[in-house]
This record gives sequence, structure tokens and C-alpha cells, in this order.
Amino acid sequence: MKRVVLLCLFFTLINSVLNAQKTYDELEFPELNEFQVPEVETFTSDNGITFFLLEDSELPLIDLSVIIKTGGVLDPADKEGLASITGTVIRSGGSELHSADSLNVMLENRAASMETGIGFSSGSASMNVLKEDFDELLPVFIDLLKNPSFPEDKIELAKTQTKSSISRRNDDAQQIAFREFRRLIYGKDSVYGRNVEYETVNNITRDDIINFHNNHFVAENMMVGIVGDFEASDMREKLEDAFSSIPSGEETPLNFPELSDESGSSINFANKSDVNQSVVLMGHLGGLRDNPDYAEIQVMNNVLSGGTFSGRLMQVVRTEMGLAYSAFGQYSMNTFYPGIFYAGVMTKSETTAEAIDAIIEQIERLQNEPISEEELQSTKDLILNSAIFEYDSYEEILSQQISNEYRGLSDDAFQQYLNEVRETTIEDVQRVAQEYLNPDQLNILVVGNEEQIGDQLQKYGDVNEVDISIPQPGGTDEESVAGDAVAGREWINRMASAVLPNGPVDGELVYEAQNTVKTPQGEMNLDLVQTINFNTDKLVADVTMPMGQVTMQIEDGEGSMQMGGNEMPMQPAQKQQLMAEYHRHPVYLALNRDQLNVEYLGMEEMEGQELAHIRVEAEPTLHLYLDPETSYPIVRTYRQFDPQAGEQVEVKVVSSDWREADGVLIPYETISYAGGEQNAVTNVSTHSVE
Amino acid sequence: MRKIGTKLLALFLVVALLPAIADSQDLESFEENVTEFTLDNGLKFIVVERPVAPVVSFVTHVDVGGANEPIGHTGMAHIFEHMAFKGTDYIGTTNWEEEKKVIEELDQVYQQWLQESYRPSPDSVRLEQLWTQFTELQEEAEQYVVNNEYSQIIDRNGGTGMNAGTGADLTIYYYSLPENRMELWFSLESDRFKNPVFREFYKEKEVVREERRSSVESQPLGRLIEEFLAVAYTAHPYGSPVIGWNSDITATTIEDAREFYNTYYVPSNITIAIAGDVDANEVREMAETYFGDLEEGPEAPPVYTKEPEQRGERRFSIQGQSQPILLMGYHTVAQDHPDAKALEILGSIISSGRTSRLYKRLVEDEQLALTVQAFNGYPGTKFETMFLTYALPNQGVEVDTLENAIHEEIQKVKNGELTQQELQRAKTNARANLVRSLDSNSGLAQAFAITDGQQGDWRKVFTDIEELNEVTLDDLQRVANTYFTEDNRTVGTIVNQDNEEVADAN
Repeated sequence: MKRVVLLCLFFTLINSVLNAQKTYDELEFPELNEFQVPEVETFTSDNGITFFLLEDSELPLIDLSVIIKTGGVLDPADKEGLASITGTVIRSGGSELHSADSLNVMLENRAASMETGIGFSSGSASMNVLKEDFDELLPVFIDLLKNPSFPEDKIELAKTQTKSSISRRNDDAQQIAFREFRRLIYGKDSVYGRNVEYETVNNITRDDIINFHNNHFVAENMMVGIVGDFEASDMREKLEDAFSSIPSGEETPLNFPELSDESGSSINFANKSDVNQSVVLMGHLGGLRDNPDYAEIQVMNNVLSGGTFSGRLMQVVRTEMGLAYSAFGQYSMNTFYPGIFYAGVMTKSETTAEAIDAIIEQIERLQNEPISEEELQSTKDLILNSAIFEYDSYEEILSQQISNEYRGLSDDAFQQYLNEVRETTIEDVQRVAQEYLNPDQLNILVVGNEEQIGDQLQKYGDVNEVDISIPQPGGTDEESVAGDAVAGREWINRMASAVLPNGPVDGELVYEAQNTVKTPQGEMNLDLVQTINFNTDKLVADVTMPMGQVTMQIEDGEGSMQMGGNEMPMQPAQKQQLMAEYHRHPVYLALNRDQLNVEYLGMEEMEGQELAHIRVEAEPTLHLYLDPETSYPIVRTYRQFDPQAGEQVEVKVVSSDWREADGVLIPYETISYAGGEQNAVTNVSTHSVE
Repeated sequence: MRKIGTKLLALFLVVALLPAIADSQDLESFEENVTEFTLDNGLKFIVVERPVAPVVSFVTHVDVGGANEPIGHTGMAHIFEHMAFKGTDYIGTTNWEEEKKVIEELDQVYQQWLQESYRPSPDSVRLEQLWTQFTELQEEAEQYVVNNEYSQIIDRNGGTGMNAGTGADLTIYYYSLPENRMELWFSLESDRFKNPVFREFYKEKEVVREERRSSVESQPLGRLIEEFLAVAYTAHPYGSPVIGWNSDITATTIEDAREFYNTYYVPSNITIAIAGDVDANEVREMAETYFGDLEEGPEAPPVYTKEPEQRGERRFSIQGQSQPILLMGYHTVAQDHPDAKALEILGSIISSGRTSRLYKRLVEDEQLALTVQAFNGYPGTKFETMFLTYALPNQGVEVDTLENAIHEEIQKVKNGELTQQELQRAKTNARANLVRSLDSNSGLAQAFAITDGQQGDWRKVFTDIEELNEVTLDDLQRVANTYFTEDNRTVGTIVNQDNEEVADAN
């Protein structure tokens, strides 16, 4: 009996537990707890800095941040990268009072940090410290802002690092896609689309950096925010005192050039043969933050791509079709210049077009069909219910207020936006979709594997091949002194007769040589058998290296390499280099002299003798220095990009010991120099024409 | 969704929280706001009351990761994590009873198809028949599905930062809500772990394959890391990719996933942390209500395999179409080993901050590297792990040159050249990093859930400092000499095939 009662009791308990459980649609939520958004104290100092203070005593820390009116938008043409490098070296170079090394030790011993940086439309400087270190470190921070010392070695370091990053910018398909898409939409020469290049970095001087800093790191350009464990009245005094030494200066006008809204659709492609997935981006210019339809457009934006999986793109392309891990989009609206509307996906090569079509369909659907009442409501809920997270920490409250101020938005801009979201209707969403989306003017960019993608893209129009090759710096431009073309012709004819005493040769030139090449690991010896057919432009080189035998071949414009029984295609860069070497070969020059533009520039002293200087028009320009007695091209020079140095260097090739066999003279000793340093010696042992 | 473990940076974020340190004083003040309790079924809760703003963050830690996967089923933990967003028997369906039947049949047909395809000479007609049947069933199941309803409910209620991560050691699920919607989290979270439905399982595997393409197959670093782990580990499952080998993804069925769930998603293997504007008593009541009936299960089995001692250096290079990358690892110890702390602080001394040895010499002075990082604890920390160095040579610098310079710096550590000042600085920064990590609900919940789930006590977040503070210069020298030996080393590189030496065509 007792047992039964217990059992009953037990069941009742279980039942009550189960009944207490509610499904999501049975739940009713209480009011959100009262939340008093803390008040930010502001004041402006005599020299023009606006300060924002917020007390937060939860942790014994103080975070100070300065926002500076400047940006990469101000980079002069040909010196792109100036703002960014200035931002880096202010911190990395230290100040006059505190050298970089001592500053680093001082900060890290105290687990403190100071950082500076300049982005596209603003600069920043920050100091994060334990509260007990604040008084000691504030003057150090001010000194860094005011008197950075910009030492040459740290400037060089920043430039080297920037150039290293440039060299890596085509390694990742997503990085390529986002960069090139931006250039596609804004124009690659506009301030919004231009790249930092080796050459523009090389062009930046220490004076440029000093001027950039002096002009922009002035009080009129600064706002200062501080949050942490302090007392506001006390802090105000400290800040006023410390920042008073920063010169007022003049406010920098940030000029954002207008963009012409060029209409028209396009399909663009960049090949990356080591991937099996396409990165697709499509879109057109977006809008400005002050557009009165901002809220309606953002509701539309969230219908298309908001939430985690709620947006239509994720719903359809990922969940329904299983075509992607990630499908995304945004209608971005900047304050200073138009944002971009884009939608994108990463999908396996084979389904590239299928995914593109699915996205376009969703963009068109927003225009053609009203969204459902439920969709409108859940999109509004998403925006409104998550709004609290926009200001759920002291840091966010402070940074929002400063950001509004910097961008010229009112303090209640966010609340206004939320109010307008509440009022948005189904008709509004369709109206802004029709007004602001242009599915027939999409610029589509695909970065992926050409072989695997095949002809999927043709249906979108003529595919533009995007050139992502990294431009090599031009270095100092070749002076184009006008030379004497008639005399040049005469000299090159003499050289041809000297190198080919019996006139043009038929057959293949074969020679054996030993090469000693300097590499970063030391000297490397290569045995080389080279066969050149000057009629068919066929080159074969059998190279014996310490690690084995390699055969390189170029025939009918195709390059290949064989190594240990494996054959693989030659990299385009490598083929290009081999062909360029071939085009500088004395026998090639002799045979093709009639097609070359040559000019005689006078006699010059070189290698201890007077030589005739001939310029040959080629890419890059080739200079020949002929021995006036024998007419042999004793010295050849040209400029070439050196990846070690990250810049153009002069290559000089000095040839001697000319010997004849089968009607062809070639030098039996050749020494090459790059940037003045000897880097290779070639000793020929035998040659013939076969 | 995201995998912890294939991206080094993502990993740093997770790792950085674990070793964070504060004074024991901080611990006391924290303890006042922390409540912990364990339900009768073994499910543990940690609650941090932090009424800064009316929001709350939730983190569910499950003590299962890639390392627990059976052979042939790599990627399982991660696939299950994806399935946890597919809904329940109530959410995401228009008719569960019918849907369930179709899903069961679907899995049977897939298993038959698999079986046939693994035969020495598969019958192609039968394969095609089965596949047709499979795709028809898949479409049939589709008609009952309400797309993404589970995550949409969270979105609509203001859920923020919703995601999940699978690592070699663990799986975590997390998001934040306005505090008045806490009960919604209890309802949704308990439902998905009580009633997993394996909805759209086979379609989701294709999503996972796309994730694999974007994070591993089409990424130079992703490819290098996958190869590196496979070379460095011969026996221990740390050598397998968390996202899984492609053929294993194919081989995984719903039945396998269910078995995995039954084995590892038992209450005693789960730890939940909740931080924000909440009342601990209320949390406890709701925990009893919603999770009290989560069925108890046998303790999850341990990982038996230990990585045997390495008998000689392992080295490989990938000819790639990218600039060079260097990875170098030494096998070390699990986090509960006495040497773990010394290794941790050693990584910090040589590579974090502008004063660190590798940064100072390689990045600043000799400009050999664009970046260099070294730390203990890859690909996990629970089992015997690796001390990993990752470096990108500057333009024109050979990988070998960079590697040699790193060896020279390691040799200095072995010779005992580190100073007391460097050691002290690393300790100070570890403490400050901890303090800084305590200022967000999500950061707190994540640190507490992971530390408690992995090491048995959330207090370790703080008490580890005593151990860390005891590390001496002698310890650093000793661990360097013990673990950083040539025989114990794996080196993997990507070298740029465009930059190979070209013989002069002159």
C-alpha cells in the first residue's frame, strides 16, 4: 500500500516537472530589467579636443583611446600606404624621450599596451593600463603622440613588412575576391579601390611620414574617450593637463571624392588553380548612411542576409541546396562615401553557376514579391530584440557615442533607427528593393579554379579576366636619351658578323657548362647541358643539381619540367624568365637584329676599357657594350625585380673567352652581377651546332 | 559551425582564456558571485551573477572532440555539432511522426548503398538503384522540414553571437539573450540535447564538405596544418583533422551519429556556464525543470591510445602556389602534467609581445619574418600535445634561414640564457590577460565552462597562477632540454614552386 502511494507521488512529481517545461511558443517573457544606460561625461579643452569619460569600477583597469581625423584616403597618388605606415611607426619607433626598446620594456613590464594605427577614414591611438600605472604612463603616451621619433630602421621595418604582405596577397582566394571586388565596384584607380604596391611603398620617405604626422596629429583633429576605474572630476583635470601640450593645429578636411554610379553588369574572373572552391561576390554601389530610407533598406538587408541562418541566402543556398558553408550579403551604407551592396558564396567549383543563379533569384525575388507578414515581423524582432547588445558594456556605450560624434550622427541615431524599423511595412521593403537593388546591373566576380569551373560563367556575358599579378616596382625610370639609330644599326650588324662569322646557322646550338650560383644557403654548383633551336624557339636544359636531375623545356610556347620521372607544367613566372634570358642571348640578338630597335649612345668606359654602348628596345630595356675591336658584346645590362630586396636591381653580365665552333662564337666564361654583387659564374666546356 | 583547431588565430583566442591568471584575491571576490550545482543526473551548472546590463550569455561544454572519434569516423563530433542546430521533434518539423519514419528508412538505404560501394567489385546497377531510392527519400523527408526554425527562434528573440565550435578536445555551443528570455534558452537547449533528430543529415554533410574546402583544401595554411598533424602523430587521434577526412564524412551514417550521441552526450559529460544579469536560484529551478529529466548514462569512455615516443625527426614540404610558411612542433605533455606550466610560460617569453626573443630578433632586428608565434598546446591540451612554432618568412627570405634562426634561439633557452626579468614579465602579463578577459559575460561563461569541463574545476582559471608563479628559470631550461630535441621534432613547410632556383638559360 505504502509502495503504491509512493509510486503515485513519484508520478505526480514527474508530471509536475514535465508540465513545468514549456515549448518556445508557450513562453511568455517578463519585462526586461530596468537598464539605466550610464551617462558619459563630455567636455572640450582649450586646444580643441573633445573628451568623453565613463566610470566603470568593475576591474582595476583604465582604457584610453584617441580617434584622429585622418586616413588612408589622404594618401597621395604614388605614395599609397603612407597613412598606414605612419600609423605603425608612431608606435614602433618610439618617441624622443622613450626609444622603441625602452618603451616596449616599460610597457610589457607593467602589462600595459599602447598602440597606434591609421585606417582608411580615421586614425586611432590607445592606451590600456592597470589603474595604478595610469599617472606614470599618461605622459609617455602623450609624448608618443606628440614627438614620435620615426627612426629610419623602424621605417624600413614597416616598409619591409608591408611589402612582404603585398607578396602574400594572392595566396588566399577569399582575400583576392574581397580586394578585387572592391576595386571592381569603386574603380581600381579611385581612392576607394587603389592598392598599396611595392613601388608606392618605395616612394614613401621619412619626410613624408613626419609631415603626415605633423599635419594630422593635432588637437583640432582629436577626440579622446576614457573608460575604467577612476573618478571623473579627478580624471578630467589629469586629461586637460596632459593633452594641453598638443598643438591645436588645423582640422584636416577629409575629402571623399564623388563616385560616378556607372551602370551595367559584368562577369569577372580570376584564376587560382590550387583551389577546388569558387569564391563568388556580386553587387553594385550601395548607399550613404544619411539616406532617409536607411532603416527600410536595413530591414530588406536583414531579410536577405540577416541573423545566423535566418536570411534568405543562408536558407536557400546553404540549408535547402547544401551548396555552401557560407552564403552572405550586405547592403552597406557608409557615412562618408557610398558603401557596397554585395552578396556572395563559397561553393565547390562544379556548382559555381548554380549558386550564382540561386543568389540572383533571391535578389530579384525581393523586388518581385512582397515579403510575408511573418517574415517582416521576425526580421523586426531580430533587429529590435538584439538591440540591447549594441550597448551592453561600458566600452560599447562609450565607443558608440564617440563614433556618432566622429561621423556627425546625432546621439540618438540608433534609437531613431530602431523607431523607423518598427514602422517599416511590407510595401516599404518591396519599394526599397525596387529602388536600391539592381539585379540587372550586377558586377559578378569569381575567384576559382578555371579548369574545374569550365564554361559555367560564359552565360553571364563576356568574361573579363582580372589581372591580379603584383606589379613590380619600376625603380628609377630609364632615361630615354635619344641615341643614334643609324650608328646603332651599324654596331649591331658588326656584332652579328662577329658572333656568327658564317652568317645564320641552321640546327641546334648545344653547349655544356658548369654554373656556380649564389643562393641564400651558399654556393650551388649545377652542371648544365643546354640545347637551343633558334628557328623554333625551342629550349631544353638538362640540369644536374645536388638534389638530382631536372630537365626544363620550352617548346611551342609551353613550358614543362621533368624531375625524377615526374613531369609538371612550368610556372608562368619561370617560363617568362627563361624566355627573357633567351631573348638576351647574343646569338638570338644576332639572328633577330632586323626586328630590334637599337640606338648607339656613345663610347663608355666599362670593365677597364672603352666600349660602344647600344640600347636595345625590349622589356626590360637591354644595354649592350661592344668591344670596338672584336664587336663582341662584352657587357650586357638590364633591370630586374629582385624578390630578396623587394626592388628593381641592375643585372650586369660580363662575358669573356669567346670561342668559335661550327660557325658560332660564344663566351666560355660569363659572370653575372645583381645590384653590384656577383651572383653567378658560368664556365662553358664545349659547344657545337647539331 | 566553426571548428576550433584549423585556424591558429581562432585557437589562440580559446587557449588565451585558459591560462589566464589572477591573484587569489580576485578569486575570493569572484566566488561571491559564482554559484555551482550538479543535478542528480550528473549535469553541472556554473552561474555567474553579473548585473552590468540586462543580458545573459550561455555556454554548453561537452567533453568530446575530434580525439574521441572512432577510426573511420573522423569528423563525427563536428557533424553532430552541426546537427544540433537542425531542430527537435517539436521544432523544425510539420509532422515528426511521419518525418521520423522517412529518416529511418533513408538511413537504411544509405547504409545499404555504402555497403555495396565498399564491396571489391560493386554492382553498379544496384548502386544506382539505391542512390535513386535515397534521393527520393531525401525529398520525401524534406516536405516535413521547417527550414532553420530552431536558429530562427533564437534570432527572433534577439539571440546574439550564436555559434558552436568543435575542437580536438571539446565541443561548445553558445549564444547570448536579453535576460528576460532566459527560459527560452532552457527550453531550446534542453530540447536539442534530449531529442536529437538528425534532420537533413546527409544534406548537412555536403555543407560540411564545403566548410572543409574553404578552411582546408583551398587554403594554403589549412592544407599545411592537416598534413603537419598527420605527419607528427602516428597513433594518437590528435593526428586526424577535426573536420574529418573526406572519405570518413562519406562513411558516417545517422546510426553512427546516434551511437556517438548516446556515448558522449550524457549529462555527466556536459558542463553549462551562465553569466550575466541572472538570479542563481531562478537558474537552479529552471535547470531542474528543464534538464532534470535528461537521461543519465554510463560514463563516457576514455581515449586509450598514447602517442609513442618519436624515434627521429620528421620533415616534409609542400610545393605550393603561395608564399612560404613554416610549422615546427615538438611533442610535449598534457595540461595536467607538472611541466605544462613551464612550457606555457616559455612560449610567452619567446614569442608574445615586442620584447619577446623571437619577435625581437626575427621580426625586428633581422627582418627575417613577417610574423612568428610559439606556444604549447596544439592541437589540444587534454592529451600529450605539441609545442608549436608558426612563422611566415619575409619576402625573399628562405624558410631554412628562418628555421635556423629559430633553432638558435631555442638553443639559447636550452643553454639557460633566459633572464629573471623575462620570466617575471611573462607572469605579470599572464595575470593581466586574465583580468582583462573577465569583463564580458560571454568571455566569463566560456572560460568557466571550458575550464570546469576540461579540468574539473572552474577555479583553476584563477588557481593556476600559483603553479605558474612557481615556474623557475631552471624549469624553463630543463623543459627545453627535455622536449626540444631533434628526434622529437616535426617540421612542415610550404615552399613556393614559382621561386625555385632556375638554372641560367644563358
